[in-house]
Amino acid sequence: MIRAFFFAVAALFAATLSPAFAQAPGVLNVDGSLHSARAAVAPGETFTIVLRQNIREGWHTYWRNPGDSGEATELTWQAPAGFEIGGIQWPTPEAVPFATLVNFGYHGDVLFPIEVTAPANARPGDVANFTADAYWLVCSDICIPEETTLTFSVPIAAVGRDDPEWGPRIAEAVANLPRPQAGVDARISAGDPARLSVTLSNAADIRNVRFFSYDRDLLLASAPQRPRVGAAGVSFDISGGVAENVGQAPVQGVVAYQVRDGANWIWRGVEIEAQPGEPLADTDGAPAPISDNYALAGLEGSGSAVAVAPPMDAAGILLALGLAFLGGLILNIMPCVLPVLSVKALSFAGGAHSAETRTHGLFYFAGVMATFLALAGLLIALRGAGEAVGWGFQLQAPWVTSLLALLFFAIGLNLLGVFEIGGSLQNAGGTLTQRSGNAGSFFTGALAVIAATPCTAPFMAGAIGVAITQSPLITLLIFSALALGFALPLTLLHFAPALQRLIPKPGAWMDRAKQVLAFPMFVAAVWLVWVLAEQAGANGVLSLLLLATALGFLLLAARWGRAWLIAGALALAVTGTFTWRPLVGVQSETVLASEAWSDDRVAELRGEGRGVFVNFTAAWCVTCKVNELAALSSPRVAQAFAEANVAYLKGDWTNRDDTIAAALAEYGRAGVPLYLYFPPEGEAVVLPQVLTESIVIDTISGAQT
Amino acid sequence: MTISRRNLLLGGAAVAAVAALGGAFLLNGGEALASVENGAQAPAFSVQDASGATRTLAEFRGRTVVLEWTNDGCPYVRKHYDAGNMQTIQREATADGIVWLQVISSAPGEQGHLDGAGARARVQTDNAAPTATLLDPTGVMGQAYGARTTPHMYIIDPQGVLRYQGAIDDRPSARPASLEGATNYVRAALADLAAGRAVQTASTVPYGCGVKYA
Repeated sequence: MIRAFFFAVAALFAATLSPAFAQAPGVLNVDGSLHSARAAVAPGETFTIVLRQNIREGWHTYWRNPGDSGEATELTWQAPAGFEIGGIQWPTPEAVPFATLVNFGYHGDVLFPIEVTAPANARPGDVANFTADAYWLVCSDICIPEETTLTFSVPIAAVGRDDPEWGPRIAEAVANLPRPQAGVDARISAGDPARLSVTLSNAADIRNVRFFSYDRDLLLASAPQRPRVGAAGVSFDISGGVAENVGQAPVQGVVAYQVRDGANWIWRGVEIEAQPGEPLADTDGAPAPISDNYALAGLEGSGSAVAVAPPMDAAGILLALGLAFLGGLILNIMPCVLPVLSVKALSFAGGAHSAETRTHGLFYFAGVMATFLALAGLLIALRGAGEAVGWGFQLQAPWVTSLLALLFFAIGLNLLGVFEIGGSLQNAGGTLTQRSGNAGSFFTGALAVIAATPCTAPFMAGAIGVAITQSPLITLLIFSALALGFALPLTLLHFAPALQRLIPKPGAWMDRAKQVLAFPMFVAAVWLVWVLAEQAGANGVLSLLLLATALGFLLLAARWGRAWLIAGALALAVTGTFTWRPLVGVQSETVLASEAWSDDRVAELRGEGRGVFVNFTAAWCVTCKVNELAALSSPRVAQAFAEANVAYLKGDWTNRDDTIAAALAEYGRAGVPLYLYFPPEGEAVVLPQVLTESIVIDTISGAQT
Repeated sequence: MTISRRNLLLGGAAVAAVAALGGAFLLNGGEALASVENGAQAPAFSVQDASGATRTLAEFRGRTVVLEWTNDGCPYVRKHYDAGNMQTIQREATADGIVWLQVISSAPGEQGHLDGAGARARVQTDNAAPTATLLDPTGVMGQAYGARTTPHMYIIDPQGVLRYQGAIDDRPSARPASLEGATNYVRAALADLAAGRAVQTASTVPYGCGVKYA
C-alpha cells in the first residue's frame, strides 16, 4: 500500500520531468491549430471543434480568469453565413505560481473544445471554411502576447461522419471538461474569511483540491485557501479579493483536484455554482491532503496534511494495528525505556502486596494509555496546525533534549548513591526505586512513554507514518495499539502472581542491582547527548556537559551541609548563565545586541543622530525566527550595524501588547514580522517580511540602489 | 499508601514540557500578508530616483501622490505607453499639481530592471512625464505596498492616506485595441479626490505582468 503510494508519487515526478514538448514551434511559443471532430457535417448538425495549443516547455497560457496576472486566450471568428460558433470551453485549469503570484492556466498540449452549429440550409457538397484571429498571452518568467490566424474547413454532407484522428481525442477532451455534477451542492458563507463549502462524494479520495473562481474580484489568486476535507465534502477559505459582500451573491467556478487513476493521479474538475447560505454540513474536517509535487505545496502545505496515502482498507488497518502492537512490545526492551521499567520492576522486589499491586498495574496501564492518546491528540492537533511533524518531535527542541539528558544523569547518580532525595533536604517523597502510589504508577507510565519516543523512530516509523497520513480516528487506533503493546508486559507483571514470583526476593543484591541500573541511565543520557550534538553542535554538547558537571557537584555537595549546598547551587547557576544559549537554540555567535523597543527610545536614538532598526517579532512566529537566523544573526550584519552606527531594537509580541499592536497598525499590519528602519532623518523604511542579509545591510548602509 | 512525589514531578514535568511545546507550535501562524488597506496610512518609503536623489513619501505630504509600478518590457505597460495613454494621464495629473511616481521593482537581471541612466533614457524615449522614477531593485517598496503587477496603481491623498489601489483601467488586456472605450480608474479616482468626494471605485484587481521581484 505504502509502496503503491511511493510508486504513484515517483510516476508523477517522472511525468512532470519528461521533456514531452521540447520542440520549439517556430517563432511562436504556442503552436496553435483548429481541428474538427467530424470529417463531414450534416446540415443543422451541432459538432465540436477544438483549439489546440501546443505550448513550449516552461511556458503557459491562461484560463478564463487568469489569476493574479496574465490574460485568457481569445478567438475572433470569420465563419460562413449561418454557422453559429460558441465560446471557448475551458478545461480544468492548473495553478501556476510565479514568485509571490499565482496564475491559472495550462501547459503542454491542451485542447479547448468549441461548439459549432451548421445551418439547416447548408448545401451538401459545399466546404465550409473558417478563419479565426487568435490572440493569447504566453508567459514563462516574462510574457509575450501572440497573434496568429488559424483556419479549418469541413465538408457538408447529407450524413455526417467522425474524423478518425480527432473524433476520439476531442470526445475525450469534452468528457474531461469540468461540468456541474449531480449531487454536488455548494454554499458561499459570509465571514472573515468567507467560506465556500462543496459536497463531493469522493472527498476522501482526492488531493491538491482548490477552488478556481470565474470572477477575478472574488478572491486573491495567491491567497491560501486552506482546503479542508470532511465526510461529505470540502471547504475553502475565500479571502483577499476586492469584491464586497462576499457571501451575499452566488459564486461560480471550478473545484479542481487530483484523483487516482490506477498508479497515477489525474486532474479533474467540477463546475459549481454556490448559493449564499450556511456552510454545508460535514465539509470542514482535517486539512485536505497536499502532495509534495503540487505546484502550490508551498502556499497550501502549511495548514494541510503534507503526506498523502491512499485510504486504508480493513486488512491494511488490521496489519498496521498488529505492527503497532508488536512495536509497543519491543519498545519495552529499548534502551531509553528499559531503565525506567527496570526501576519500576525493581520496586516489586521491595515487597509486593497483591491487591495494591494490581491497582498499581491498572494505574500504570492507564498512565501509558493516557499519555499515548494525549500524544496522538497532540499529533493530530499539530498536523492540523500545519506542522509537518514526525514522531520524536518533542525531542526536537535542544532544551528538552538537554533537560532529559540531565534528568537521566541525575537519576543515574541517584542510583549510584551519590545523593539521596528526602529527609531534611526537601522531603520530596521517595526515589524511583521506592514503591509508588497510584498516581506514582500513573506517572511512571507517562514518563516511560515520553522516554520511549526517540526509540520509536527506527522501529515504528512505518506504523506511525501510516497513522500520520490517515484520518484522526485511525491515528488514535494505531496509537492505542502501540500503547497496549507497550503497557502489557509490566501490567501483566502486576497481575500474574506466577510472573511476579520470577522476581527475586529483596536482599543485599538490590543495592548492587540498583547501582548496575545506573548505567543504562547513563547510556540513555549519552544517547541524548548524541542527539543534542545533532541539534546544537559542539557548543551545545559543551554547554550540556558543563551543566552536567555542575549538577553533579551540586548533588554531591548538597549532602555536606547548607554551606556546600549554596556553593553547589551557585556553581550551577553561574555555569547555567554562561551556557544556556546554545541549549535553547540561541546561537552564541549572535553578536547583534538588541534593546527593547519603545517609541521614546527610537526618538531618543534618532535624536543622537543614529539610525534605528526595529524588529517586531514573537517567539511563536516562525517567519520571524527564520529571518533572525538568516538575516540578522551573522557577524557580517553585526559589523554593518556597528559601521553605520545603527541601533537594533526589538519589539517582542510573544504576548499581546497593545503598544506594539498600535505600532503595527500604524504600518497597516495586523501581525508580525514587521521590520522598520528609521534613518537618522526622514521617513521610516518598511522592509520586506522575508529578509536577506543583503537587504538588511543595504538598507542600513543607505545603499538602496 | 504513599505517592512518590518525585515520580509525580518527573512525569508531570515531562508531560508539561511536551504540552508547552505543542502549544508553542499551535500558536504559530500569526504572520500577516503584505497588503495595505484603503483609508490607512500608506507605507513610508525612502528610495533613490533615477537622478540619484533620495525620495521619501514624507516630502510629498500635502500633495496627492500617484504610484505607478512599471516595467518597460511588459506588454501591458507597452500597451499604455506605445499608445500615449499613460503619458496623457501623467501630464493631466502633474498639471494639476499631483505627484506622479513611476516605480521600478524589477530586480537586477530581470525584465524591466533599469539603472538611473537607463530609467532617464526610457522616460525620454517614451516622452513620459512622471515627477520622478523611483528605483526599487530590492523590491522593498514594492513588497511594502503589495504591488503585484505592472502596471499596478496607488493613489495617496495629501494626508498620506491610501485612497485607490488596483488596475489602471477596466480592460485587462495587452491588446492596444482594448484602450478604446476603457474606463480609466485612476483618472476617475483623481477626479473624485479633486471634487472632495469619496473615491467611488477604490479597489480593483490589478492586471498585467507579475512584478519581477528578486
